[in-house]
Amino acid sequence: MVLQFYEWMEGSALAVFFQSGVWYSPLIQVCHLVAVAVFCGALIVVDLRLLGVGLIKTPLKQVANDAQPWLVGGLIALAITGTPTLASTSIKQYYSPFWWWKMEMLAIGIIFLFTYRQKIVRTDENQLGPIRPKVVALVSMGLFLGVTIGARLIGLS
Amino acid sequence: MFVRTLFEWLNETSMSVALRESIYGYPISLTSHVVSMCLIAGLLVMMDLRLTGLGNLKTSVSDIQNRLFPWQMIGLAMAVISGGALFFAQPMRFYVNFWFWIKMLLMLLALVNAMWFHNTIYQSVAQWDTDARPPKAARLAGLFGLLLWSGVIVTGRMIAYSGLVPQWWKDLNLDGMG
Repeated sequence: MVLQFYEWMEGSALAVFFQSGVWYSPLIQVCHLVAVAVFCGALIVVDLRLLGVGLIKTPLKQVANDAQPWLVGGLIALAITGTPTLASTSIKQYYSPFWWWKMEMLAIGIIFLFTYRQKIVRTDENQLGPIRPKVVALVSMGLFLGVTIGARLIGLS
Repeated sequence: MFVRTLFEWLNETSMSVALRESIYGYPISLTSHVVSMCLIAGLLVMMDLRLTGLGNLKTSVSDIQNRLFPWQMIGLAMAVISGGALFFAQPMRFYVNFWFWIKMLLMLLALVNAMWFHNTIYQSVAQWDTDARPPKAARLAGLFGLLLWSGVIVTGRMIAYSGLVPQWWKDLNLDGMG
């Protein structure tokens, strides 16, 4: 069932279009990487603040609010630019263990980001204690480090 | 000619050969390079967004500059080490690669932009530190920073597409393949 879906993707009009020109695939990949930089910047700046370093003069809630549009915007851009790459190489992705690793880490990371981490960054800092914010930051960075490593290894599998 | 000789010499050193023949050397260096890119480029984007007046407006410019700088330097150190390993493993691959040289040029321009910013408009930062819309020169430096670092990311990825280069570069025949 899942394999059939991946086979359908590779034969879709979107995949055929991106396979039809030598420049289409590299162009969409570089856009994906620029989106990675925006997303990672918005993620790391808040995680550093949770660790008690980086922008410590600005309240946590404020740092998170400022980063939120770039975090969400980066994620949307990643989805838009990642879809053509997935479609045009979907069978390769299906058989790569790193692809499934990346997607599992990404799904857990996004859920964590917009549920528990979101709740923590919106809580009054005085109520958080010294340990909890640091654990949240390490989990957040660990999950997206896993996504990055998985993503890079797909190309080498 | 001197550069080619240097690259050829590097290519034949025992460490280069060992890196080239290592099974795990390339994937570890490449993955580390991408992770370091996320750290340095991500934080530079956040800093440049503040300079352009597009983001992080509730934090002062000097605070963003001073407090993110050490983390950017950690990212840069990681990028230099991992990128150095990638380069050292295959110097001749990079010597003939159009995108590698453009990436180096863009990094140099990004460095010039940062130095120009620090030695000119940043000297008067106390006067506009908390302004949501910094002076034009600062916004320009931020915009150039965003464009140049995006260019570094783009050309870094394009190194893998060594065939997608202008015809004049192919005509230079640096790889001697005719």
